[in-house]
Amino acid sequence: MIGFLIALMSLPLATAVLLMLFRASAGQNTARWMALLGTVVTLCVSVVAVAKYKEQLVGNASQPVQPRIVWRHTWLEFETEMVATDVALPDRVKLEFFLGADGVSLALIALTSLLSVSAVLISWESIKERAAEFYICLLVLQAGLIGVFCAFDLLLFYVFFEFTLIPLFFMVGLWGGAQRHYAAMKFFLYTLVGSLITLIGLAALVLTAIKAGVVTPFSIPDLSAWFADHPMGSRLQTILFLTLSAGFMVKVPLFPFHTWLPLAHVEAPTAGSVMLAGVLLKLGSYGFFRISLPIFRDACEQVGTPLIATLSVIGIVYGSFCALAQRDIKKLVAYSSVAHLGFCMLGLFALNAEGVTGSLLQMINHGLSTGALFLLVGMIYDRYHTRQLDDLGGLAKRLPMISVAMVFTTMASIGLPGLNGFVGEMLSLAGMFKLAPIYAVIGTSGVVLGAWYMLTMVQHGFFGPLKEPHDVHGPVSDMSPREACAFLPLAVMCLWIGVMPQSFIELMRPDIEAVTNLYHPPRILTSGPSLGNATHNSFVESQVQLERE
Amino acid sequence: MSDYAQLILWLIPGAPLIAATVIALFGKLLLGGRSHVPCVAALAVAFAASLMLLVSIVPATFVESSGTGAEYIDEDGQTFVQIDSDTAVSPAKGAVATGYEWLDIGTLNLRIDLRADAIAAIMLAMVTGVSLLVAIFASGYMHGDPGYPRFFAAVSLFVFSMCMLVLAGNFLQLFIFWEAVGLCSYLLIGFWFKKPSAAAAAKKAFVINRIGDFGLITGIFLIWTTFGSTDFSKVLFDAAALARVNTEQPGMIQLICFLLFVGAMGKSAQFPLHVWLPDAMEGPTPVSALIHAATMVTAGVYLVARSTPLFVLAPQAQLFVAGIGAATALISALIALTQYDLKRVMAYSTVSQLGFMFMALGSAAAGREYATFAVMAAMFHLFTHAYFKALLFLASGSVMHSMGDVIDMRRFSGLRSVLPVTHWTFLCGALALAGFPLMAGFWSKDEILAALSNGIAHGQYKTFFTVIFGVAVLTALLTAFYTFRAYFMTFWGPEKFPEEALQPHGHGAHDDAHDHDHSHAPVVHAAASGHEMVHGDARPHDAPPPMAWPLRILAVCAVLIGFVGPAHLFGPYIENTPGLPDVTPHHMSLPLMLLSAIIASVGMGIAYQWYVKAPSIPEKLESGLRPLFKLSHGKFFFDELFTAILVAPLRVIAVCSSLFDKYILDGLVDSVGAIPRLMSQAPRRLHGGLTPAYAATMLIAVLGCVFCVMQLFAAN
Repeated sequence: MIGFLIALMSLPLATAVLLMLFRASAGQNTARWMALLGTVVTLCVSVVAVAKYKEQLVGNASQPVQPRIVWRHTWLEFETEMVATDVALPDRVKLEFFLGADGVSLALIALTSLLSVSAVLISWESIKERAAEFYICLLVLQAGLIGVFCAFDLLLFYVFFEFTLIPLFFMVGLWGGAQRHYAAMKFFLYTLVGSLITLIGLAALVLTAIKAGVVTPFSIPDLSAWFADHPMGSRLQTILFLTLSAGFMVKVPLFPFHTWLPLAHVEAPTAGSVMLAGVLLKLGSYGFFRISLPIFRDACEQVGTPLIATLSVIGIVYGSFCALAQRDIKKLVAYSSVAHLGFCMLGLFALNAEGVTGSLLQMINHGLSTGALFLLVGMIYDRYHTRQLDDLGGLAKRLPMISVAMVFTTMASIGLPGLNGFVGEMLSLAGMFKLAPIYAVIGTSGVVLGAWYMLTMVQHGFFGPLKEPHDVHGPVSDMSPREACAFLPLAVMCLWIGVMPQSFIELMRPDIEAVTNLYHPPRILTSGPSLGNATHNSFVESQVQLERE
Repeated sequence: MSDYAQLILWLIPGAPLIAATVIALFGKLLLGGRSHVPCVAALAVAFAASLMLLVSIVPATFVESSGTGAEYIDEDGQTFVQIDSDTAVSPAKGAVATGYEWLDIGTLNLRIDLRADAIAAIMLAMVTGVSLLVAIFASGYMHGDPGYPRFFAAVSLFVFSMCMLVLAGNFLQLFIFWEAVGLCSYLLIGFWFKKPSAAAAAKKAFVINRIGDFGLITGIFLIWTTFGSTDFSKVLFDAAALARVNTEQPGMIQLICFLLFVGAMGKSAQFPLHVWLPDAMEGPTPVSALIHAATMVTAGVYLVARSTPLFVLAPQAQLFVAGIGAATALISALIALTQYDLKRVMAYSTVSQLGFMFMALGSAAAGREYATFAVMAAMFHLFTHAYFKALLFLASGSVMHSMGDVIDMRRFSGLRSVLPVTHWTFLCGALALAGFPLMAGFWSKDEILAALSNGIAHGQYKTFFTVIFGVAVLTALLTAFYTFRAYFMTFWGPEKFPEEALQPHGHGAHDDAHDHDHSHAPVVHAAASGHEMVHGDARPHDAPPPMAWPLRILAVCAVLIGFVGPAHLFGPYIENTPGLPDVTPHHMSLPLMLLSAIIASVGMGIAYQWYVKAPSIPEKLESGLRPLFKLSHGKFFFDELFTAILVAPLRVIAVCSSLFDKYILDGLVDSVGAIPRLMSQAPRRLHGGLTPAYAATMLIAVLGCVFCVMQLFAAN
């Protein structure tokens, strides 16, 4: 299984290196075929890896974070030079090269690989200048994203997390729209500032761990296991949680840190938007899931839920309203992302199995449906060089297949049961409803608003009498086989997840339950005469007190 | 469950699903004008299977399971689907077919299984039967439309979803297909998507339904957190759980019922969420008949009837149901009085009749023992209404077909002799709707009045139900009047056709050039099915056979279907529905029957007087009561009201948030970004590029350093 992991990380990178070597001689055609080959092979490997993993998946995880595939080597070992005060410090601390995968990472890796293929296919014709460089960026981005999902080490995680910014920066800045320089800089600096605060948090976390006596203070599984048994003081937890959240919140993006997103989306080339919305945004929520939830239990319960859930519901309602006012389809979809990621965070901070499952499904679903929406918007832009609803109308007459695809994707996006969006939204809301109904009820209103703005877009853009920009020359053709190849896999996945969500949930279930068991310990494990919430809370409190003493 | 029963159960939704897939995949390329074949065949199979379910499979469970009830179900909820018909009994009087596990995480789990009991079997037989007839009708009506395959794919998908909705044994499954029928409704209302009005109506229907669904899903979440499950067997049929929740969390069931009813209000177009249904008439007429009259819109009634075990514990919610039903029935009947669009009259009449059904359901507030009767009355009206309203819509469609797509009743009249089949079948439907004695609607409306009189006679809400009863009687009178107003305006009086009916129409009606007008399939059909209209042929033609036969069959149903119950077949059958409280025997009430007969006759008589004998009276009234007429003709201005108080403010909020986002939030970000630039202003001056300046700076710095070092050494 480790072979798969290495292959997944190195295949896109190897293709990128090859492209770089032959950059001078390779024309647009060679470059795109090589990129396609690289991404398709990666996709095949990731699908096989998921299948194999699912086959071998037995039993539940015993730790909050427990990768089933582990590739772990000590990288550096150094003496601790801090003066011991009250606890015995380990003499040597290890810095590791720790890659691994569990069901959640594999699912997200598969999503990344799938969207990469679509991204290459959709750039096929539209990227003419410096094509080789473009595909290098795309492949490097893919490698970086897979790296984030494989990293089980804080340092590696952070390195990959930041690294993904660079290729996307170039993709937006070089191949973007009119305002591309401004958009690329804003996107880069905004997320960088957030991430630097996160870096401080990570450093503080590592120092805390060293002080507490953890030998491998960078390993996420070890940290989570340690802090599950020896919680930090609640003030410290809160501070660390908040500093770590800064970068994640910008990346998600949560209201009010989202303003870089619409701009970046509108200016990015289609492939950039697909990768940005499809995968890059998930790094924030994935960071919360992977690091914050397992390590800062009390802070997540006491600070995380009220704070993040409030911001999420504001984001859902506010993002929906902003989307309703947009006349640019791409911007509308970008704002819808703010709302959808709101559902995702709402579910995550429900801190129960239903909510977290919904959140993770929502990450995948949003990647698929919003990725597909951006593909379709890109197809329309390629044909008409406009995305303004005021310039377009009744496209169903001219582009029947694209329109059918658009209605389908819209339905997936607004959470129609039977398609993927419903499962994620419903589970997220259900999870939050169990914890704090008020957030869920406000969030549910976003479902109504979502139907409103998306269907308004469909109504104005695709139904009604035909309206096309005047300066279009020559016949406009419907979806080409190449575009269909980019879109159809996403559509099939949307339907598959919608009809049989359990097969996807099974893949991630042990990892999810391992985390949520921290918050809602299964009944067998809670000892003592009384059961339920009261026990759990006093249990936590007593541990906190112990720590303070 | 035996394999045979499983197969039959799966065939009901399965056959339409297969048809939908086949038509969607191959319709455009291979089937073309034959796209109706898979759809009609699948619906015939589903109808046959539903009949088998109705007469043999479900009744077989009535006897087996007497006295077992819900205790049978095991804790893990898995075993209830694994029942051997020989050794064990089906739980809670129903047939179950196993499906697959859709979701299981935390405490939320859902298996997609099929569960049929008495009430579901009746619904299924009605749904598949009416769908079959409508599909046959549509094969003629829609002929030649470029979207022919799309139409039948969507209709098949609709029947699949509707059957799955009815067969759901779990609130979540019900919700899934509840929204799926909404999708089909959206696709079919917007079928002629080039018409802006159709596109707008489709969106409106979907969004307003979403408002209702908001209530429904919240209610389902509440059921889940309260009962720990969304399975009917653990919520509705588990008397112990119901009793426990009722005592432990008083008010909770009220809230749940209220929220469920909000969902029903959306789907069944109850005031104030009724505004989407009349606009939904933008869809092809067969769709109006099937989805927006006979089947989908009754899903709300079905949901409330299905949730009776919850509603009997929530009398306030039942009063709310009855009140909303009464308000809806009256308001929409008043609106129907003055509409000139034949289809809209029928649409408002549908809304009004749904209101009747909800009134009946609400009458169970009189007491637990009247709940079963109330459900029976509502379901019986739902059942008969499906036939006669589908008939009326299809007949209206036939009128529209012959009149060149004109549906304004002022533009045609006296069609009696030109369209004999349409005329006779419409008359049957109209008599049934008006509640003329011995017709289908007579029996069922009578049952509703009886249910309401239970409310007057018993329980603690006597005054309330007296008012409701009064509203019901008044509405029944109005119904008889407006139905026959439409009938007389269309079929009596001097023979008059709009010029569109006399125009020949070719296949070109769907070319781009015609995007703007309303010429659609019905018109084209006349030319396509051998009824060539030649220039100068001054007489429109009646419905061709594929349209005429469904009309005839439905007409027979509209006349005769009332005799299946309520006391003989229908009532005793539906009493077997699990979860319904024990029954007090009911009886036919002669005074009430007499009252309904009088109401119907009076309404029809007035219509005859005003629209046949003395057509000047309505005009005089119209000018005499100008404001009232305007109010009714303007549909009480609900659309305008909602636009003013809801849509417009929300749009303003949307624009404001967008501006806020662009200028304030993002402006804040940009100004933070400007700080480093501002701060760089000062150091920038140091780097002016002038060598003397650099030299001076260097000198000062070196001197400063030397000074510091000397100070340090001096200190040591």
